[in-house]
Formats: sequence, C-alpha cells, structure tokens
Amino acid sequence: MDPSKCVGCNICELSCSYEHEGVFSRSLSRITVITYERLGLDYPVVCQQCEPAPCVELCPTGALSKGRMGEVNLDKGKCIGCRVCSEVCPYGAARMDPEGRYPLICDLCGGEPACVMKCPTNALSLSSRVSVRLEANSTTERFAISELKRLAAGWGVKVDEA
Amino acid sequence: MTRLKGYGGRVLRVDLTHRTYRAEELDESLARAFLGGRGLNVYRLYWEVPPGVNPLGPENKLMIATGPMVGFPHGLGSRVNVTARSPLTGLLGDSNAGTHFSEEMKFAGYDQIVVEGRSDRPVYLYVTESGVEFMDAEGLWGLRVSEAHEAIRRELNDHRVQVAVVGPAAENLVKFAGVFFNVYRAAGRTGMGAVLASKGLKAIAVRGDGHVEAAKPDKLLEVMDEMLRRIYENPQYWPRRIMGTSRILMAGNRLGFLPGRHFQDPVVDYAYDVSGERLAREYNVKVRACSAGCALPCARFFVVKKGPLAGLMGEGPEYEPLAGFTVRVGNRDLDRALKIILKVSDYGMDAITTSEVIAWLMELRQRGEVSDEEVGLRLEWGDPEAIEQLVDMIAYRKGIGNVLAEGVKRASEILGKGQDIAFHVKGLEMIQADPRALKGYGLGFAVASRGADHLRSEPFVEVEDDPELGRRMFGEPEAAMRLGVRGKGKLVAFFEDLNAVVDSMEVCKNTAENMLVLDFDTAARAYSAITGLDVTPSEMRLTGERIVNIERAYLVREGVRREHDRLPRRFLEEPLRDGPAKGHVHELETMLDEYYSVRGWSRDGVPTKSKLASLGLHEVVQDLELRGLRLACCPGDL
Repeated sequence: MDPSKCVGCNICELSCSYEHEGVFSRSLSRITVITYERLGLDYPVVCQQCEPAPCVELCPTGALSKGRMGEVNLDKGKCIGCRVCSEVCPYGAARMDPEGRYPLICDLCGGEPACVMKCPTNALSLSSRVSVRLEANSTTERFAISELKRLAAGWGVKVDEA
Repeated sequence: MTRLKGYGGRVLRVDLTHRTYRAEELDESLARAFLGGRGLNVYRLYWEVPPGVNPLGPENKLMIATGPMVGFPHGLGSRVNVTARSPLTGLLGDSNAGTHFSEEMKFAGYDQIVVEGRSDRPVYLYVTESGVEFMDAEGLWGLRVSEAHEAIRRELNDHRVQVAVVGPAAENLVKFAGVFFNVYRAAGRTGMGAVLASKGLKAIAVRGDGHVEAAKPDKLLEVMDEMLRRIYENPQYWPRRIMGTSRILMAGNRLGFLPGRHFQDPVVDYAYDVSGERLAREYNVKVRACSAGCALPCARFFVVKKGPLAGLMGEGPEYEPLAGFTVRVGNRDLDRALKIILKVSDYGMDAITTSEVIAWLMELRQRGEVSDEEVGLRLEWGDPEAIEQLVDMIAYRKGIGNVLAEGVKRASEILGKGQDIAFHVKGLEMIQADPRALKGYGLGFAVASRGADHLRSEPFVEVEDDPELGRRMFGEPEAAMRLGVRGKGKLVAFFEDLNAVVDSMEVCKNTAENMLVLDFDTAARAYSAITGLDVTPSEMRLTGERIVNIERAYLVREGVRREHDRLPRRFLEEPLRDGPAKGHVHELETMLDEYYSVRGWSRDGVPTKSKLASLGLHEVVQDLELRGLRLACCPGDL
C-alpha cells in the first residue's frame, strides 16, 4: 500500500464490492479509502494480515480463520455478527456490512485481489511475506536487519520479526 | 414496482418553505429519453420553471442530478450537474462538477434532488436513504467553503459524507457564486451558488449505504475493460495525468489563443513562468482523482515550497482559473496567482467570471474610462495586490465590487461604460480562449445553451489541424482545422450532441469526450448493459440531440433568437494582433447559417416543428405554440 500514489478514485472499493457481493457499493467493500481534501490525502485502509490476528483469535464462534497466504477467511454460516473482530482490529479494517450482519474483511480474493488488479496508479500491490527469527544484540545487527527488511521490501517481500 | 437498473431510482423533492420532503419514483420513460444528469435537470427546468420566475426568489428550483454511469468503476470519473434558472443570465443556469457527491447520492438511492421554496433561517440538508434532516446552519453562515465543508463533516462525524456547499460570495448574492464540492471542485458557472443561498440553504450533505448493479454485468465488464484500455493506451494519458488541464496554457501560447490582458495579447512572453509544466516541476506533490471511478486522475495537489507564500497548498489549479489570474489580467507572479485562485474558490465564486470582470475593469482603466479614484485603488495590469483586493471587494460587495458582483454585462450597463469590451454571450462571461484563433470554439460560445462556454461543444478535434480527420469525420477538411470555416456547423453540432450524452451519463469530458472513449456506440453499449434496455448508437445520438433541443426551446421561450447568438465585437472586427492566427477575425455569420441548417432550425435559430417532433418533443411544440410562438414547419420554411 502506497498512500502517496493513492488518488482517491474508489475504483478499488467498487471492484472489491463487485468481486464479493456482485454489486457496486462503497459500503460493501473490504477496502476503504479515507480522504482529507485540504491536505490532499488519500489513504487506503485494508486488512494487514496480522500474525497472530486479534480478530481470528477473539472470534467467539470460530467463523474467522487464517488461510494459506495469511489472509483472513470468514465462514458466514458461523458468524453471529457480534462485531468483536471489528472492534479489535488495530487498523480499523474490519468494518461491519451496513446491516451489521457480518464483517467485511479482506480475503485477498484467492491470491489475485480485485483492488490490486484495478488500481490505476499501482498504489496497491500484493507482497509475499516471510517470518524469520531475528534477534538484534548490537547496533550493527539492528542496522543489518533494517537493511535486510528494506531490500526485501524492494523485492516485494515483507519480513516479520518473530 | 420495477426499478431501472443502474439508477438510484428516486427523485427527492425538498420543500424548504414548509420543511417537508418526498421521494418520488423516477419515471422509466423519462430516464430513457433524457438519461439523467444534465438531461433530466433541463427537462424539469423546462416544465417546472416557467418564464418570468425570479431566479433568486422562492419559486425558482435548483436541481442536482447524478447519472446512470455513476457508481461503476469504468475509469471515466463521475460528475454532477447543478441546474436552475440563472441569476447571472436570467436564462438557463447549469454547471457541472467532478465530485464524490455524485456516487454518494446514487448510493443513497437518488438520481435527482430538487430544492424548492425558501427557508427563513439558514439550514443545511442531511440526505440519507431514509430521508432528509433539516439541520441548523446559523453557525455556518458566513463561513468560507473549506471551513463550512470541514465543519459539516465534523458535525456529522463521518468521513464519507459528501457535501455541496456555498461560500460567503453566494450569501452576499454575488451573481456568479458557485456550488462547491470536496472543498476544491466547483459547479462554478451561471451562479448556482447564489440560487442555493437565496433559499437560505448553506449546504447539502449526502451519505448512502446502498449499491448499484448492472442488468447485464458481464456485458458491462466487457465494455468497462474496453474503455479502461482506451484510456490507458491513449498517447495523452501521461501528460494529462501529470498536468491535467493546466497544460493547456503552454499549448494556448503555441497556438496563439491566450486571453492575454483581456484578449489583447494572444501570445505572451512569460507563458512558461505561469504554466502547468512549471507547476508540475516545482509545485505539485501528488495527483488526485476528483471523483469516483477515475482512471485518469488529473487533479494535482500543490504546495508552494519557497518564497513569502511558502506553505500555501491546495488542489488544482485547472486551466481556466490559472489562465484567468495570470495572462488574462497580465499577472506574471505564479505564487500570487495561486493564492488568489484559492481565495476565489474559498469565497465560492466562479473563477472565469471573476477574472473577466477584473480584466474588463483593467482595460477600462487602460483606456482611461475609469480613474483609480472611482475604482478605489491603484489599478494596473498584472498587479496581484490590486487583483486580490478586487476579489475581496467582489465577494463582500464592497465599493466597486458591488457593481462587479453583478457580472460583466450588468456591470457595463450600470457604469454605462465598456459595453463593447464586456466579453460575454447571453450574459455569461467568456472562457480563457480567443475565438479568433479557435473558430469552432467561437461558434460553440455563440450558440451554447448557457452562454459563452466551451463545455457544451468542446470541439477539440479542430486543434488537431488535420484535414484528413476533418474529411473522415465530417466530409469537410476545414472542420478539423482551427482556422477553417466550412464544416464548423457539423463539428459543433456533433460534439454538442455527444457532450449532452456525456453530461447526462455524468462522466468526465477529459476521458469520455477528449479521448473519445465514450462515443455514441460505446455509450449505447454501456447504457444497454447497465439498464438492460436495448439502445442503439443512433438512438443515443438522438438522445443527445433531444437534450440540446429542449435547452434551445427553453431559450427560445425566453426570447432568444439569432441576434443573441453573437460574439462580442472585438472578435468579429478587430484582427488578432499577434501569434500564429495573426490577422484573423471570427467569421460567425457564415458558421451560424451552417449550424442552424445542420440542426434543422430556422435561419433565426428557432427549432422547427418537424425537428422537435422527430425528437419526441411534441409537448414542447404545444407549449411554445400556446405561448404564441410561430414555429416553422420544416427546415427551409419561414
């Protein structure tokens, strides 16, 4: 996600809504663009695939689960619309649908997210992520680790510290 | 109850006098005949606002409409039209803006909002799916556009609320005050803001959780992919995305159509210093999309990085305000121009008209017809201090500003001076392009239904100067040559019809028209896929023609004839002094004859009975005849 490239055109939202619900709506999108005109800011808010994910951990019915790519999947049959996931999401990226029936959480569209595919400015992209055990005991090591993360980001890989 | 797919489905009528509202079902045949947006608005204006209505009285109606293509991620961008009887021209008032308001309104389930009556206290409307709340706006009255916008968003505490708002200029009934959206986007022309404020209405806020869907989603996706590809593959994609309309300034200097010092200098030696190119290199920090579904974001956010105005920031500027507050008034200082432009927009005024009245006064001063004492300040071409002071005086109607706030036509009548250099058509001030160097545009200004404006016709292909293109499109090489005369009637009529469709679909002309992404064929396929109706390309063209003709009928009913379709004398008689079009004047009469005959109108500019009937406007024929108008039967009669 690169907010400096986001122009606030809502194409991601409308495409997301169509992909998941078959209709075009801002309120049924898993991704939300926040706009503040006076500073020219547009900021896309979407699930960051936390590891571990508080929404999955705290879901009382097990309706949410983690998938192969780290995405959060929802079993609508099990969801009771209790909003816990929506409240605990640290990014505010688990909005409830307008009728409050279930949360709208990004499931990465099976690996080819509609929002990423349609974004006209490439503000959105999908990066793989690796989890490595990193321990920094000295300034040098901390520097090396931050450089490693920077390089990995350049290759489209996100490094998590475990 | 059937609901046409792709539409919100309802028309919202708000009566401010009695603080009531009702939502009516959108009539399906009306939707098919006028599409939405501009078409739907002018239809209602024709039938609900008869001649004689005071534009600033409670009986005038103001309409905001969205269109059938809004809400879909087609890449064209989305817009709204604001329409009412104009306080500036006394005729058809209509203005269009690119904004997220359009989709939010659609998602709330409305295609059109009709505001009637007048509130005795300042209010603003909060419109949602479930209805309208009349909110107290006592504390908002007097606030500038950006302040009011922010205050309303904060009060309603929702980042998705979209607000149409007017500034202090509208409250002071400056005749060319506009309606503003998303802080910087203006439906600026013809004084729609003054109408809103005259009704005691500070703003309309809208929020909707609904959705739109297509009758044939697969077909629509196919058409949308095709349109997106045509946008991305267009050679103009990057220049437009980086500079937006601001790039026209340098182009205008190259082609010699700039309005330098009130249309005295078609080329200037400081064009780069005030150009979109320079803005892109030194000021712009990012691009933005003004509205939903735009794949060609061309609104730029700028920050002044050094000098005494460092830290000044905002969105834009578009070509019109940029050229208006630089070359038109002879100002070479870009930083100061940006400050003035932001101020004009924050007061809520039309930048085009504001630049005309100031430039007009400056030329009067140059000719020695007004003195500095009469004006109340030292007036010299290009003095940013004086320009800024005049802007303040106009917005608050102080001193000479009280006269200028009436628009250039009335101002020249009040002062009894400078009527020959009051550059307007039918009371609407001219845009930043000299018709002597752009002949098709000039014809467009003369016949445009809202006055001197390019956006009704926007015959951009003449700038290509490609005789082969002209022959292919119109059978006349000169049609696609900007200094040519023959074929301009066909050219202007064709693009007027197309733009009527584009404005009624409520998509953006930068993509839909200037890149010819939404030609009649594509429009017909998109509309058919969305609604499930079976509309052909020729039917789409007829729809465009129908909208143009009902607008003309509105004007004819008000007494507009050939003598009103004219350009100011300078453009017809004084040859251009400089630039590639040096020596040219505008050959309006010849082009008018061709235009009327292409339109199927009489030589006096009145639609014939057979033309109106062939467009299904039988009731309009009846209405005009009941009012004692003698319509010619067929072209060639009279």
